[in-house]
Amino acid sequence: MNTEMIKLILIDGLLAAIAAIGFAVISNPSRKAIYVSAFLAAIGHGLRFFLLKMGFEISLATFVAASFIGLLSIFFARLIHCPAEVFSFPSLLPMIPGLFAYRTILSLIKFMQNTDIQKSQSFIIDFFHNGMTTIFILLALVVGVSLPVLFFPKISFSVTRKY
Amino acid sequence: MESDLKNNIPTIEQIADLLTDISCELMSSGAHTMRIIQNISRMAESFGYIMDLSVFQLSIMITIVNKDDKMQRLTQIKKTNHLKLNFTIVSELSALSWDTYDKKLSYDEIKIRFNKIVSEKRISRWLVLFLVSCANASFCALFKGDFYAVTLVFWATMAGFFLRQEMIKYHINHLVIFTSSAFLASLIAGLGYVFHLGNTPEIALASSVLFLIPGVPLINSILDIIEGHILTGIARLVNASSLIVCIAIGLFTSMLILGLEKL
Repeated sequence: MNTEMIKLILIDGLLAAIAAIGFAVISNPSRKAIYVSAFLAAIGHGLRFFLLKMGFEISLATFVAASFIGLLSIFFARLIHCPAEVFSFPSLLPMIPGLFAYRTILSLIKFMQNTDIQKSQSFIIDFFHNGMTTIFILLALVVGVSLPVLFFPKISFSVTRKY
Repeated sequence: MESDLKNNIPTIEQIADLLTDISCELMSSGAHTMRIIQNISRMAESFGYIMDLSVFQLSIMITIVNKDDKMQRLTQIKKTNHLKLNFTIVSELSALSWDTYDKKLSYDEIKIRFNKIVSEKRISRWLVLFLVSCANASFCALFKGDFYAVTLVFWATMAGFFLRQEMIKYHINHLVIFTSSAFLASLIAGLGYVFHLGNTPEIALASSVLFLIPGVPLINSILDIIEGHILTGIARLVNASSLIVCIAIGLFTSMLILGLEKL
């Protein structure tokens, strides 16, 4: 853990925060919720970046980061009286496996246009490898973030109660 | 005036109308099923009614029964509006349902607050356009895209999202909207390939369409399935997946036009 690494993690978190703000405003949350989702996205994505550097598998790292976001979001939900999913959803979006999804489609296109059997086989492998990674990352995101909600249903449904 | 409002006991029809309106508003603002049921049953309880609710993709069915007089019951179905995400409404209505429960708000007070919540203005569309473009550009940077890729993605997103906003205004089918915005955005980002800008045109092309990914419906669907509302969850999942297929079709078309499949 040197300064170079810390710098990389900070840059990663900053970019994730900008991305989270942009994706949060589409769903029109309150101003406080936007700030919280930027903060959570920075922490979650930074954590995932760190775990990936430590040699974790990507879907496992995503799962850990997403459940961390879920836990923190319940804490913040109680703090600002706002349902947890309002800011936990946008903060997950920077972790959506866009590049893997793109490669899945690309290999599918190549498979369709290719007649050579040898090449087709390698495209099929690419297709399944990238497609599976996409699906598992998506599942890890959602299950990870909703685990705290499942463990503490009382808390997560009463955060908007003020009395 | 205050006591006058409280003495005015609402009829069962009025309560059913209010509850269906609120649940439809929650549904089209992007709340998951469990939250809708919790909020609405809490409100019904404070009026002295037992409530049962089933949520479908396009309609909501609600039955309320008076606790004291079981003969007094009403079932109502209402069509929901198209999904237009608005988390301010979700959190405000959730707070309203707790206030109803804790402070025993009267029917008229709830009605006034509901109308106020629903008519609140959204964030300015130009600000949203700018922030989404920044977001997608930083997305591209997260995937280690270089300067050219980030700039391209910024403008591609701006064009694609602007097209989406304009098409939503004219109530065009949402599958068409997604396909054409994905097409436009990836067409612009694909110019990096054509003119050999920078070293990472692949990343620009891949991240140019990511602003369209229906993240909230996707997460909501899995959340619904986990909590046991499987039918609603699958409906949402199919909806989100068809949008993703549309994005893929848009991307695919522009790649074919630009001749990128040979790369």
